[in-house]
Amino acid sequence: MGNRIYNILFHTHTVSGIVISVALYVIFFTGSFSFFRDEIANWQRGHTVSQEDALPSDIDGHLNDLSEAYNLYGRDVELRHYYNDRSISVNLGASKDSLASEDDRAPVFFYLDPVAKTKTETYADNYHLGEFLYRLHFLDQIPYPYGRYLAGLVAFFFLFAIITGILVHWNKIVSNFYTFRPWAKLKTMWTDAHTALGVIGFPFQFVYAVTGAFFLLKGILILPVVMGLYDGDQNKLYEDLEYNHPVYEFQNEKLANTINLDQYVDEMKADWGDFRVTETHIFNYGDKNMHAAISGYLGYKTKLNGLGYRIYKVADGSIAQEKVPTTNNSYLDGVKNMMFRLHFGDYAGYGLRVISFILGLVSCFVILSGIMIWLVARDKKNIPEKRRKFNRQVANWYMAICLSLLPVTALEFIIVKFAPEVNMGFLYQTYFPIWLVATVFFILKKDIAFTNKWTLISGGTLGLLVPIANGIATGNWLWTAYQNGHQQILLVDLLWLLLGIVSLWIAFFKLTTKRSGLVPSKS
Amino acid sequence: MPANKKYLTPSPWQRFAKISAAIFGGFIVAIMFHMALASWFDHVAVIITSTFSAFVLWAVLMVVAFMGKNGWKVWGIYLLASIVLGVACYFGNQTNPII
Repeated sequence: MGNRIYNILFHTHTVSGIVISVALYVIFFTGSFSFFRDEIANWQRGHTVSQEDALPSDIDGHLNDLSEAYNLYGRDVELRHYYNDRSISVNLGASKDSLASEDDRAPVFFYLDPVAKTKTETYADNYHLGEFLYRLHFLDQIPYPYGRYLAGLVAFFFLFAIITGILVHWNKIVSNFYTFRPWAKLKTMWTDAHTALGVIGFPFQFVYAVTGAFFLLKGILILPVVMGLYDGDQNKLYEDLEYNHPVYEFQNEKLANTINLDQYVDEMKADWGDFRVTETHIFNYGDKNMHAAISGYLGYKTKLNGLGYRIYKVADGSIAQEKVPTTNNSYLDGVKNMMFRLHFGDYAGYGLRVISFILGLVSCFVILSGIMIWLVARDKKNIPEKRRKFNRQVANWYMAICLSLLPVTALEFIIVKFAPEVNMGFLYQTYFPIWLVATVFFILKKDIAFTNKWTLISGGTLGLLVPIANGIATGNWLWTAYQNGHQQILLVDLLWLLLGIVSLWIAFFKLTTKRSGLVPSKS
Repeated sequence: MPANKKYLTPSPWQRFAKISAAIFGGFIVAIMFHMALASWFDHVAVIITSTFSAFVLWAVLMVVAFMGKNGWKVWGIYLLASIVLGVACYFGNQTNPII
């Protein structure tokens, strides 16, 4: 690579990196916690979920309860399991019966807790800390569509930044891989950390950048395809990509026999083995043309892309349509499924998610070291003092915003354990103001080494307090959770215990280098 | 050390041309490339592949745009490529219409 190309790539890497750094840090930090979104939900509520990744058995029982509370005739009834918390989302379509009362013609949606048999009416009430961190990781607290598109663009420019980054570093990948000079010059420490961890994390980051860009920017892909190839018929595209449910006409004639979903599910499990039901969708409940679509997938140990469904005609119990997960999966299913599996890292148990969590935090460190390189490289005598002051201020702000996330998040985990009721409003009103205050405090201190040290110490201490707070508030101490097999609760407690220990260890044993040596001189 | 300034593009117009060619030009070429393929081959497979390959191609075209010496020339090349791909897409669509 010639000098010209090298310097151009270097410069584009720097500029794109520094522009997205803060948003990207927020995305990676909260995204790392989002691997455990459902565990955090269960931890917060003191629940434990035994059967994972599927609807609980005895669906007929729930349908019965529903039919007592609502007039289901002529409605579409959908039960869906999406996350691994206890709630099932229940979706009742408007009744298609022309004689239906006003009430029955209104669609209904709520979350059903199948254990406590309670329902939560709105999304805001079903909100929890896991959901909050998950949403923050694509900036969804900024109103739609701005937050998501912003996050999508950040993901895309991140892709650009890692490609230019790996190209710039290309010739030195092998020779510099073992170079780590923490006690040499300050700048070499940041550079070595940035390049070594950047190269190790590259495949991980590449996958997350591409899949993340797709999730958030798919709109700009769909538009030209619909206009250019489908003559504006968006529905046809979704049909081709198999996103649409089939349609069954309402015949307005009552059906004599009752529905027995559990029997269908048992039948499918007998035919397909390790099949997990995630969604049951009943068309035209109680009508002659009632159909039941049961969809799900094979356990990831059996087959990675084993998506399947079967639609029964309830009147005679015949199979109207099916996709056999053991044999019938197309390339289309594979891509659609893998985009999510790769991003969520949920196909290989806790091990993969823990590794992904660590790599996520490593990426956070790569971002921070990038900001520090940017600052240190520009803190030279030949650069005007005004400019240097400005750069220092920028880095100071960036560091304050990013690093204060650790103690603030740890504190929020403690707060939710003692709050009487946690919902969307509560999380917004605690998390954001605390984050703001912490950020302003560190900005005003104007000392990056101070910010670094004290966010680690406070974050580490608060992190260690998280399992203790959980024990005091609920009696679910680490050992009781372990004895009772409350895996999800134990996992979150252990995560914070380790995070706390590591943070304090870094703060007290790894930051012992003279403070003056860690950041550029203050003057 | 920061990148050596003597190799960077000094003129604001050139910078504008390169940045816009990278972001918009790259996007148009990446999309047209996939649409041209979709119009001639198995369109479902191409469209679902584009969910990842379009982003990768777009990012690569972005990198390439910055390597050029003249930003307007980069725009010219990207526009020309888009037109050629657009014509291919048009005839593909005529031969095997999806709708």
